Amino acid sequence: MTKVIAITGKGGTGKTAMTSLLIRHLTKTNKVVLAIDADPDTNLPETLGCEVVKTVGDMKQFMQDERDNLPPDINKESIFESKLYEVLEEMPKYDLIVMGRPEGSGCYCYVNNLLRGIMDRLVKNYDVVIIDTEAGLEHFSRKMIRDVDDLIVVTDGSRRGLRTAERIRDLTEELDTNVRNIVVVANKVTDANRAEIERTADGLNLELIGTVPVDCVIAERDLKGLPLFDLPDDSIAVQEVDKIAKKLGL
Amino acid sequence: MADEYPFEISPMFEGERIRKDGMHVELSGPKSKGYELVRATPMDEIEDGKFTLIGPDLSEMEEGSRHPFAMIYKIAGELVEEDLESIVERRNHDFQNYIQGLMHLNQRYDVWIRVSKDAVAKGLTSFEPIAQAVMMLFKNELPFIEKVEAVYVTDLAEIEKEMDNVKAIYKSRDDRTRDLHDEDVDTFYGCTLCQSFAPSNVCVITPDRISLCGAINWFDGRAAAKVDPEGPQFAIPKGDVIDAEAGEYSGVNDLAKSLSSGEYDRINLHSFFDYPHTSCGCFEVVGFYIPEVDGIGWVDRDFAGVAPNGLPFSTMAGQTGGGKQVVGFLGIGINYFRSPKFIQSDGGWDRVVWMPKHLKDRVLADIPADIAEKVATEEDAADLDSLKNFLTTKDHPIVQRWVEEVEEEPEAEEAQETATFAAPPMMQNAMPMQGMPMMMPSSSGTGGVKIILKNAKVSIEKVIIQKKE
Repeated sequence: MTKVIAITGKGGTGKTAMTSLLIRHLTKTNKVVLAIDADPDTNLPETLGCEVVKTVGDMKQFMQDERDNLPPDINKESIFESKLYEVLEEMPKYDLIVMGRPEGSGCYCYVNNLLRGIMDRLVKNYDVVIIDTEAGLEHFSRKMIRDVDDLIVVTDGSRRGLRTAERIRDLTEELDTNVRNIVVVANKVTDANRAEIERTADGLNLELIGTVPVDCVIAERDLKGLPLFDLPDDSIAVQEVDKIAKKLGL
Repeated sequence: MADEYPFEISPMFEGERIRKDGMHVELSGPKSKGYELVRATPMDEIEDGKFTLIGPDLSEMEEGSRHPFAMIYKIAGELVEEDLESIVERRNHDFQNYIQGLMHLNQRYDVWIRVSKDAVAKGLTSFEPIAQAVMMLFKNELPFIEKVEAVYVTDLAEIEKEMDNVKAIYKSRDDRTRDLHDEDVDTFYGCTLCQSFAPSNVCVITPDRISLCGAINWFDGRAAAKVDPEGPQFAIPKGDVIDAEAGEYSGVNDLAKSLSSGEYDRINLHSFFDYPHTSCGCFEVVGFYIPEVDGIGWVDRDFAGVAPNGLPFSTMAGQTGGGKQVVGFLGIGINYFRSPKFIQSDGGWDRVVWMPKHLKDRVLADIPADIAEKVATEEDAADLDSLKNFLTTKDHPIVQRWVEEVEEEPEAEEAQETATFAAPPMMQNAMPMQGMPMMMPSSSGTGGVKIILKNAKVSIEKVIIQKKE
């Protein structure tokens, strides 16, 4: 069975860093991973250290633009599937797919319906699917990915970050999404704010499953544009994320 | 039977993805060349079950390498004919995916195949068992195939040599497919993707009428309904032809009743005025009746300006959408302009007076040559006066209708009284039109509109609605 993990949260809290470190952990434990960058502000490829030229959005647009030029009796799902595989970046141990650009004008119902079917089949090929997504949860509301086992909301030390977590939890219920479990991970935690974060999370009835301390190695690599994927094993952030992964049964 | 092959064969392997890590070789695909082709061949030119390979075999290919690849199947049988080629060819995709360790994507000259390392480790060293398995499946699943022979090619020069011929075959097939019309089939397709926001929408897809969103043609409907008959696209038995010109079928009417929860029980597929197709909201183009010239204008969502009736696409789309049958407006997919039955019961292209230039250019090849230059664009006419002038100067066929009207008018006026009503009660009581009142430029405050009924006996032949002077 494929396990589906989604990572979301307020902007700037470190969702993408968290996603990269989880992928890093999973590939070290020999899991075959599909990473999906579903954040319109596409940062995951850079953080993982791979280059993505084309996105699912580009291919959706291709299907829209070319639909009258394709042979009339051609199977469009089969073409779209092949186009999707073309934008799948194949790395050792994991594949990466970037959702990319938003939809243009016009009706995308049919294309999205095809995409749902293709994604359903695709995810079954992996041990773990890990999705880096924006707080708006658009791809979930559109049911592009139908079932999510664990939704990890990343927050920083701010109260607003935890409020976002609360809103996301409420939103997943409202949207009738198939999310089994919602947990919170606090990022960039210091000794000074740790107790306060734990207290606030508790007050909002959020399940805090990990606190990742400020790691100056991450900040340094970020600034230099170096991928986080090859952080050393003894990095404190790496060690904390490994612990979180174990808690989630990964 | 399965023991003959060094791999397992089952539909459960469909959807199996072979990743780069697990791939022994890649064949054809976006970075190489190849094709797949099925040819109907005379019985005596086929040696049943024969396999020929031109170029190196799997065992001669290095792990991780990429090669050109073509698959040609010659089929014969009493019932085999050229028209079946593409249907049989499509099954190559299914059957190759039934083979464990083989991934087949796309079709025609875009085929993309991978053979897994696992399959090679389990003893797959040649393309022959793959071809044999596919030939076996062809004969088992498609019993009209009596004899089949396969030729696989991995030699680039040989593939390139044949490519032009192969493309010509695909093209002639497409030309034949485009020649399929409503009268040639007994099944249409429906789609409910829009019903979430347009609950009474009845989307009917026929060979001569694409879905309103422009995304789903008759073949797409057929393919989807075959895979999942309960899915968003489903078959509509055509039933009896009630009116071939207007495109009225008993099967479509029955469906309209059930799909719109009884709101509509008649749909004319190729009419603008009488029981037109419902309009969902995601149509690519909206048509609007212009009473002043008795013609129809069309505007698409990419046109930012206002049409000669003073309204932009967004306003008209707002009035038209929602899954209603709206007389005076009609949502369509762009490809419907290319249909030979395009609003044929209302005069077809002879009734079209205006469309945005970029839209006209897009479908220009399909506009009858004698009318093309007579259809105005925003460059020719921005309002009703300039539109009238343009149509008169170009001698648009619609002008002929004006002449006929003028000739009839004196008689009509003697015989009938001309009635003038205030719009709202008129709309509610007498006309089964929805959205029509909104069509009035909402320049309210000028005292509403005047509606003149001419030649009105029991049924209404014409309604003219104009701004009160």
